[in-house]
Amino acid sequence: MGESIVRLEKVRKTFPLPEGGTVTALGNINLDVARNEFLTLLGPSGCGKTTLLHSISGFVQLNSGCVYVDGEDVTDRPPHRRPVNTVFQNYALFPHMTVGNNVGYALDIAGARRAERNTQVGAALDMVGLGGLEKRLPRQLSGGQQQRVALARAIIARPKLLLLDEPLSALDRNLRQSMQIELKTLQAELGISFIFVTHDQEEALTMSNRVAVLEGGKIQQIDAPLAIYNKPSNEFVASFIGASNLFRGTIENGTVTTDDGDKIRTSASTGTGPITALLRPEQFSIANGGEIAAETGRLDVSIRQIVFSGAGYEIHGRTDNHHDVVASIAATHQALVAGAEASRKATLTYDPAAVHLIATEGARS
Amino acid sequence: MRLARILGSSGLTFYTLIFFAFIYVPIGLIVIYSFNADPVNMMRWSGFTFDWYKQIFGLKNAASEAALYIESTDQLLAAVRTSLIVAASTTMVATVLGTAAALAVYRFSFFGKRFYRVLLFVPMLMPDIVLGIALLIFFVGVGISLGIGTIIIGQCTFLISYVFIVVSARLAGMDRTLENASADLGADEWTTFRKIILPQVMPGVVGGAMLAFIISMDDLVITYFVSGTSTQTLPIFIFGMLRRGIKPEVNAIAVMMLLFSFTIAAAGLYLHRRKR
Repeated sequence: MGESIVRLEKVRKTFPLPEGGTVTALGNINLDVARNEFLTLLGPSGCGKTTLLHSISGFVQLNSGCVYVDGEDVTDRPPHRRPVNTVFQNYALFPHMTVGNNVGYALDIAGARRAERNTQVGAALDMVGLGGLEKRLPRQLSGGQQQRVALARAIIARPKLLLLDEPLSALDRNLRQSMQIELKTLQAELGISFIFVTHDQEEALTMSNRVAVLEGGKIQQIDAPLAIYNKPSNEFVASFIGASNLFRGTIENGTVTTDDGDKIRTSASTGTGPITALLRPEQFSIANGGEIAAETGRLDVSIRQIVFSGAGYEIHGRTDNHHDVVASIAATHQALVAGAEASRKATLTYDPAAVHLIATEGARS
Repeated sequence: MRLARILGSSGLTFYTLIFFAFIYVPIGLIVIYSFNADPVNMMRWSGFTFDWYKQIFGLKNAASEAALYIESTDQLLAAVRTSLIVAASTTMVATVLGTAAALAVYRFSFFGKRFYRVLLFVPMLMPDIVLGIALLIFFVGVGISLGIGTIIIGQCTFLISYVFIVVSARLAGMDRTLENASADLGADEWTTFRKIILPQVMPGVVGGAMLAFIISMDDLVITYFVSGTSTQTLPIFIFGMLRRGIKPEVNAIAVMMLLFSFTIAAAGLYLHRRKR
């Protein structure tokens, strides 16, 4: 327990529905967040990620379960007595206060001395690149600047843990990307743990040490970004993160025969029964008409559409058994892609070792 | 086409002029008449004078042949003083209670909240004369002697509604996550109320208070019912004067009241602007 900054034990929260009945926002969630970790809670809207965040900050009352912050049980503590701070989705800056008073709010509440408080406000604003704007009002700032003020306000009291509730969702793409890098740098500088909520999978993969994928009030998978991407533990995670080609079928002698009749070769040597094979679009190559080695996997597809995306081509194809497949092909293979476009046919190859196998849903129950 | 447009636009200009004339010409006339020297027929301009103003302030005795329209300046000043005392008290009480009610409805969810909200609206919609009679019967029945106290209670019954509505409108536009943000940064509920909620509803509270003050200064019907025989507010005093004919002093008093209302409204607007 000494190592984890936050520990959730069997946290459960249900909300009553207006039609009667209840919806389970959090179903017996267990979670440990390590010191200095950047953890992202990722999931579609309504998956319970914001409720999970609020259970740590204290804005929801749990049905059952315990929340520990830095080893202390804070389950029954009101929000203002928890050693965590939050960056809110809409920033929630106090509109009647100057930037300086917004940032200094936590220190004023704690009764800090004036001179020290002003120094710290200046330092926090410098840290987010807004030095000298103390006298402005929030509405006189741009969205990106307001975002930074909210960040400065949340870190000034040096919380043990910073919670960020989709803080970048209102920013435009370029600003969002530069803020992602800045947040990451800031987290390293401050040396505190961040729990970051987002529905943007790219954001989650870019910034985090670990990503927790939530759906239906449950953590579907919690792992490093690379593992989440390459080795999703179920079909939901596989299809929520990145583009994916899923082949449901049965495995025998290392080959998956799909329900449609396609055959996917894998490097698995044992096991029989129902299974789902995952191939990411970038794991496909396009065959150049030469000999294909016997151990290489291949899929013959008819071309439905080819889309140029800058870095490469996206080939939308369909197998003879009417299964849709997406392949990303690097722009350097332009000639091969052109050939495929002309003939409306292509042979896609893949390394059987790259195929990831997922236990088929339903088969487990 | 162009002709129609010109006709249309000049027609609109004409309509706009008529519209404003309809509202402001009578008020303008009162201002002009208050400086008219003719004591008998206000419609006939016979010269410019400050006499009526001097008379209401007791600086000049009324002209002999016009007799004394105001029996004594003291009576007028007493009515003004009563009105100010009533307005100040009702404003204070109505503002505190109306704001408290608005905050309670905003902050808490409790059984019968919607019904409670409707109950707070009703006094404003109720015909003044009904409210007046009801209050009179109540006060007499309970045995409270009519006077300045009953006027204050009577006016509060409906002024609380006005303050409630103005403050509620302000609260409705408030971002609730601000309270969460304040709690998140370590403030307890009382501190959050003092530093976050109150400063933001303040324009609504001040607006509601000024509205209550102006309506209180102006109220005739309800006040008339519950004032008894010995207490007179300014509107009741003017109403009494009118029953003995429209006299030039009334115009002067009206202009003074107009100036007073404008001053309060201008002060309110100024404060509101500065807040922004």
